[in-house]
Amino acid sequence: MSEIVLETEGLTKYYGSSLAVDHLDLKIPRGCICGFVGRNGAGKTTAIKLMLGLLRPTAGSSRLLGCDSSELTPAIRQRIGYVTEGHRLFRWMSIAGLEKFQRAFFPEQWDDKFFADMIEYFELPKKKKIKHLSNGQRAQVSLAVALAPNPELLIMDDPTLGLDAAIRRQFLEGMIGLIMREGRTVLFSSHILGDVERVSDRIVVIDKGVLRANCSLEQFQEAVKKAILTFADSAPDEVNIDGLLHCKRMEKHLALTLVGIDDEKIIEWAKSAGAENYDIVKMNLEDQFIEFTAPANQKRLFKWEER
Amino acid sequence: MPLWIQILPGSDEPIYVQVTEQISKAIAKGQLASGDKLPAVRKLASELVINPNTVARAYTILEQGGLVTTKTGSGTFVSDPKLRKSDAADINMLTERMDTLITRGLNLGMREQDLTRLFEGRLAKFYKKSNKRKEEK
Repeated sequence: MSEIVLETEGLTKYYGSSLAVDHLDLKIPRGCICGFVGRNGAGKTTAIKLMLGLLRPTAGSSRLLGCDSSELTPAIRQRIGYVTEGHRLFRWMSIAGLEKFQRAFFPEQWDDKFFADMIEYFELPKKKKIKHLSNGQRAQVSLAVALAPNPELLIMDDPTLGLDAAIRRQFLEGMIGLIMREGRTVLFSSHILGDVERVSDRIVVIDKGVLRANCSLEQFQEAVKKAILTFADSAPDEVNIDGLLHCKRMEKHLALTLVGIDDEKIIEWAKSAGAENYDIVKMNLEDQFIEFTAPANQKRLFKWEER
Repeated sequence: MPLWIQILPGSDEPIYVQVTEQISKAIAKGQLASGDKLPAVRKLASELVINPNTVARAYTILEQGGLVTTKTGSGTFVSDPKLRKSDAADINMLTERMDTLITRGLNLGMREQDLTRLFEGRLAKFYKKSNKRKEEK
C-alpha cells in the first residue's frame, strides 16, 4: 500500500452519552478517490470534523498528511481542502471578495487562472454577493474555492446534497480533474451511490459510528452478493455459513446475503445443506450498501475489511 | 474513437466491466479495427467522468484477453485478430453462455428454427459492419 495521507486510530466521539464515532481505525492511501458512505446519522460528518481538528475526540487520534489533527499547522492546512456540508460561505462577500479572502490562506498555490476559468465556465457574476446566489451557484463557488489552491488532500462533506444532475456532474468532473494531478487524494461523503460508483476507486462504509468496510470499490462490489437456494421440501432450519449477513426464507427457498465469501464456498455449502438448485446473483452497489448496513437478522455482527 | 461508451451507475455490472464489454463489442463489430489506437487512460477517464484506475483496469483486462496491446510510450492499440487465440477455457465459457441463452429461448417456447434464425440474424449484424469497415479501407 502506498503512503497513508489520512489515518485515524481508535477515533471516538461521544455527544453527552450518545456515541457518534466508535473506535474508528482508518487508513487512506495517497492517490485515491474515496467514497465515504453511511446512512443518515452514521457519523460521517462528525468523523470528518474530527479528522480536520474541528472537533475534539473523546478518545483516539487522527492524522492528516502525517500531522496530528489537533495540531494542524498553517503549512499543513494549506495543503488540505475542505468543503462543508451545505457549502457554508461568508454570505456578505461578493465572489471576487471571497476569492481575495481565500487566496490569502494559500499564498503559494492559489491558481488565479483556474478560479477565473471555473467562474466563467459556471457563468457566475463575480460582483454578486454570495447571499444573492442560488444554492447551485453557491455550490459552484464552493467547488471553485476548494479546487483553486490545488489541494493535496480534498475532503468534502456531502458536496452534492440537493444539487441538480448537471452541477453534481461538475463536482464529479472536478474530483476527476484533481486526481489526475500527481499525488492528489479525495475523500467525499455522499448518499448518491451512483456518484460514488462513478468516481471512486475506494469505499469506506460506516454504520452507527463503526467502520464496516475500507477497501477498493471493486473488492466491495465483489464481496457482497446474494445466493438463492432451492430445496426439494423445505429449507434447513439452521444456516451456518461464513459471511452471512441476512437470511430470508420463502417456503422451499433460501435467499442469503453474504459478504467476503467465494462462490465455490457458497456452492459447497449449498450442496452439503442439500439444496437442489442454487443461483448466485450479482447486486448493484445501492442494494449492496442497503443490505450491508441493514440491521442484521443474525445475532453476530459482521465486519468486513480488506484482506 | 467515437464516444459510444455509456456508463450506467447502479447496474449490477461494475463500471470497469461496462467499459471492457463495450470496447470488446466495438472490436467485434469492427467499429474499432486492428491497429486502431484507444484513447489514453486519463483522456477517456475525463471524458466519461470515471476514475482513471477504472479505465486502466478495463484496459488491463482487454490486454489479458489479447484484444489490445500496450506499447510503452505510444499507447494501447487493437491487436491483430490473427494473433488472437481462443483456448479451451474461452470455448467452454462460450458454450456455457450459449447453453444459458438456449435454455431461456426454449423456456419462452421458441423452437429450434426460431433460435437458429435469431442466431444467424445477430451474427449477420456483426459481419455486415466489419465487412463494411474492410471495404472502406
